[in-house]
Amino acid sequence: MVEIYNFVVGPLAWVGWGIFVVGIIYKLIYMYSLARAKDYSSLDYMSLPFSLRSIFVWSIPFYATNWKRNPAMTVATFLFHICLIAVPVFLLAHVVLWQKFFGITWATLPDQAADYMTLAVIAACVFFGVRRATDLRARYVTSYKDWLILILVASPFVTGFLAYHQIFNYKFMIILHIVSGLAWLALIPFTRLSHMFLGLFTRAYAGSEFGKVRHVKDW
Amino acid sequence: MSKKPMILILAAAAVLLFLLPAFSQEDIKQLADPAFGQAQRPAAVFDHDAHNEKAAIDGCLPCHHQGVEEGRFVEGDPVKCADCHEVKTAEGTPLMLAYHKQCEDCHLEKKKGPVTCGECHKRP
Repeated sequence: MVEIYNFVVGPLAWVGWGIFVVGIIYKLIYMYSLARAKDYSSLDYMSLPFSLRSIFVWSIPFYATNWKRNPAMTVATFLFHICLIAVPVFLLAHVVLWQKFFGITWATLPDQAADYMTLAVIAACVFFGVRRATDLRARYVTSYKDWLILILVASPFVTGFLAYHQIFNYKFMIILHIVSGLAWLALIPFTRLSHMFLGLFTRAYAGSEFGKVRHVKDW
Repeated sequence: MSKKPMILILAAAAVLLFLLPAFSQEDIKQLADPAFGQAQRPAAVFDHDAHNEKAAIDGCLPCHHQGVEEGRFVEGDPVKCADCHEVKTAEGTPLMLAYHKQCEDCHLEKKKGPVTCGECHKRP
């Protein structure tokens, strides 16, 4: 057990985090070069104030018309994304590891709150899955990759929940949790999960074009 | 009156004085330091005597220490961890880290014993 644990929190963690960080930097440079080569004029549209305005406005639940149009989706997606980021970053057990390995700490969530937020992430994943299967428009743009991503995103939370409550074999579950979490990180740059960073630029572009060129709101 | 009975009585009293506290201390079965206040996780399971027998630890030093000199623990009286390690501190090792390091570093080094959260913080 000690050997496996040492491997997953040692070399495997460096590889997972390394691919995530280097991959994201590569992807951002690649997308910028692609835009420069194929659609140079679009770069001239970019405006920082309109970009930030659009990102800010779309960060408010039920403000944009599209948020009002799909209330269930709006609730699910806001809850999902907030919990998805907050739980892994502010979980006491994770901060304990940051402190042990790098000597740094920050604020933590009470375990009870993190537990409910984990359930919210899992519930949102179920909601997204049901929607993909039943909503005609969503079904039309869904491929097997979307299902794999949904499973990939849910797995660190499902295994984390089971490990925290020590349901089934704890040692197996905690290793599975670490491995699935690292796989999740490493695959962000190479899947649709890259919207974690690229989504901001998509929003920024829309905000810039609508604001600076068309002089209209983009929400 | 000869001094002999008096010395014997005094000696017996002295033995009782030191022996009773030594045996009356309850066996340590878990680490639940009250310094933490409201605990987030179940107390770490730790059977002091069984652990030391299994790990073949004779002295107090591998764990109980009075500070560090030149990177090595200095032996001292078995004082409470919280006497020196504060729960929240910018200087030195905070209490929770002290506990975690104390157990985990040794287990990692010896490649024996629990190293992940739930192996120690077991749910009842």
